[in-house]
Amino acid sequence: MAKKRSPYLLVKVIFAVVCLFLFLKYAAPKVFQVLMAKEHLMPTPSTLMMWYMIMGVLAGLVYATTSNQKFADFLGFLLPEKGAMVKSFIRKMLFFAFPVIIGWFVYTWSIPGAASPVELRIQHPTLPQEFEKMENPFRNTDAETQRKCIEEGKILFQTNCRPCHGSKADGNGPFANSFRLRPINFQDPGTIATVVDNYLFWRIKEGGPGLPSEATPWDSAMPAWKDDLKDDEVWKIIMGEYDTAGVMPRQREKTE
Amino acid sequence: MIKEFKCCLFGFGLIGVSVGFFGLSSEVSAQASHLFRTYKHEVPQKLPETQEAVAAGKKVYEKRCWYCHGIEGRGDGPASKTMFPKPRNFTRNEYKVRSTTFGSVPTDEDLFRIVTSGIEGTAMPFWYTISETERWQVLYYVKTFNEQFKTETSPKVVSVVSVVSTPDSVQRGAELFKEFKCFECHGDDARGNGPLTVALQTEWGMPYRARDLTKAWNFKGGNAGEDIYRTISTGFNETPMGSYLEKMSDEDRWHVAHYVKSLAKDMMSDVVVKVKLVEGEELPTEPSDEAWNKATPMELPLAGQILVSPRQWTQSIDAIRVRALYNSNDIAFLLEWDDSTNKQEDVFRDAVSVQFPTKIPESLKKPYFAMGDSSGAVNLWSWKAYWKEGFGAIVEAPETEPGTVSELNAKGVKNITVQPPESQNVTGKGVYQNGRWKVVFKRSLQTEDAKNDLQFEIGKLIPIAFAIWDGSNSDVAGLKSVSSWYYVILEKPVPKTVFIYVLFAIIMGASIEVWFIARLRRFPPKLEEEQE
Repeated sequence: MAKKRSPYLLVKVIFAVVCLFLFLKYAAPKVFQVLMAKEHLMPTPSTLMMWYMIMGVLAGLVYATTSNQKFADFLGFLLPEKGAMVKSFIRKMLFFAFPVIIGWFVYTWSIPGAASPVELRIQHPTLPQEFEKMENPFRNTDAETQRKCIEEGKILFQTNCRPCHGSKADGNGPFANSFRLRPINFQDPGTIATVVDNYLFWRIKEGGPGLPSEATPWDSAMPAWKDDLKDDEVWKIIMGEYDTAGVMPRQREKTE
Repeated sequence: MIKEFKCCLFGFGLIGVSVGFFGLSSEVSAQASHLFRTYKHEVPQKLPETQEAVAAGKKVYEKRCWYCHGIEGRGDGPASKTMFPKPRNFTRNEYKVRSTTFGSVPTDEDLFRIVTSGIEGTAMPFWYTISETERWQVLYYVKTFNEQFKTETSPKVVSVVSVVSTPDSVQRGAELFKEFKCFECHGDDARGNGPLTVALQTEWGMPYRARDLTKAWNFKGGNAGEDIYRTISTGFNETPMGSYLEKMSDEDRWHVAHYVKSLAKDMMSDVVVKVKLVEGEELPTEPSDEAWNKATPMELPLAGQILVSPRQWTQSIDAIRVRALYNSNDIAFLLEWDDSTNKQEDVFRDAVSVQFPTKIPESLKKPYFAMGDSSGAVNLWSWKAYWKEGFGAIVEAPETEPGTVSELNAKGVKNITVQPPESQNVTGKGVYQNGRWKVVFKRSLQTEDAKNDLQFEIGKLIPIAFAIWDGSNSDVAGLKSVSSWYYVILEKPVPKTVFIYVLFAIIMGASIEVWFIARLRRFPPKLEEEQE
């Protein structure tokens, strides 16, 4: 087997690592925005980035040590060689860059930063007991009554909920951009489609202030509608909301 | 040697590509960061306008549109009461975004574009989420509300070609903006505060507002140069924004469009307000002080207060700009927002307030962002524009009158207390100039009333929120524009020791490198074949 020498192996490995960094930092947010059909970029979380970079560097080293010859080439690049102008230039650049990069890392770690804090929250806290037993009085009525309830609910939804949750229940109302905790997109299959009617009843009645502290009630702009909307109106809104969003509530499991 | 050269060239090429990509991706992120959705110009193959299409359109309309536009298309649907601008009344020809001459009906393509893209700064959403067929059908149905569509079958279309903006063109546009008296409605600084717009406000069936041309996120029918040119050329039907097709040459309309485009700015939003340290200097107390330029401005969006009744569904102020400075004793904020008038009426006064928790939170837990709650109190700094005693009169806040500043505490909207006079530590003043309020607040970093006043600490993230009242929009008490919780941080100066660390790290790095290379030279890696 003819041995192929690759005198630039070191440069190639470094280049691959840099490419990985550029991809994670600049291309991945855009790629995931398109893949997940979001309206905003999806930046790679910094811890994930760190792990990927560590793995990238290790992969490069593993590759460079797969054979003795590769390893010799890998390190051999750093040895002086007569007459190789380009090689010598790159080598000098590397010698210069290494301490500078280390210095830069130390600088960015030690300057006082003002990064925005991590605000973790649970989006779907457990439904409180008192709402568990409730039942939507209009769900099991005849088709004509249901149709009327949905229509009445849609009118109420469009009047009261639309400014934030949007005409299409897609979380894109005119006020949506102005709240840091964006209004929920009900068309998203991970939201109201995964819960029962009662859950929405609780959320509409008690709003942000009624959330448990793990769901950061202080940041939620969901009003507590208990003073402004009657129970019947809330049940109708729920029906209108599911209809507008084009999803169905989760069905209760039959336990008998 | 040739191979090496090739390889190297390839490498540089790749670096070039990645740098290019880097530039591209940063541009993409800049576009995505603003709230504006582009006005989509492309229109697909038209659907034939048949009776069946109209009938199908009626179904779509009565499923999706009537809640705002009304069952008879009069713009009076049940949801219209919680919106301003009001939904379009389809029985009148008040179509704004058109490619046709002033007073004409829009083309089908114009209607298609609006249905597809929606209208920024209004409640009209984008409907590209429904099929093209449905969009054509519904617009054919909408056309049946107005007879003019039948009599005027082929309205004259103003064609728009793209013209590149140059500094000279922008300059000429600025001159034309004055010559053609655009400022009479849009204002000298184009903040929608011209004297005519204010004077004519009640003369129309509905109030209208001249566009604040500095807010790029509120342009109806797109904020690209071509869109602005189209609006200048065709005008907005049934509004004082007339057509300049006859009055201005084609070239001049492009100049004005380029000028307007140069004024339109995106919202520079962020999460943390960074407060700059100015050592050994007094903090500015005048809103127009040059010293404010040292601070980095941050803009943030505001929504109507919809949390508790009475709710403000139709807020008029949608953004606030914040800058802040501190020294060893004090902290000062400059708050700026565009308001088309400084008119005050009775209790309806222009005002602003800044909200902090009374204590810097130790954990994630904060007081409720709208005026706190029983478990978390907030500290409010409030400024109100001047109001002369009297009832029912409308006055303009004079520029010389600084307004009133007060310090309050709240534990929920129903539990608000003004601090006693001896605890009032905040000073400040407001100035109204060319359609913009500028208000300064100043307080010492620490106060004696540590129970009710926030005590500032350097380098800590402190929650901050804002509220603005617009007197001319009948804002008072709960009727206001509000923001979510943001953060403010008093920036730590970079300590000198950092540079010592960096120097040390560089020396360490270089030493390891030299040692490694020296070792490598002494014991070069050898392959077995080479040893033979």
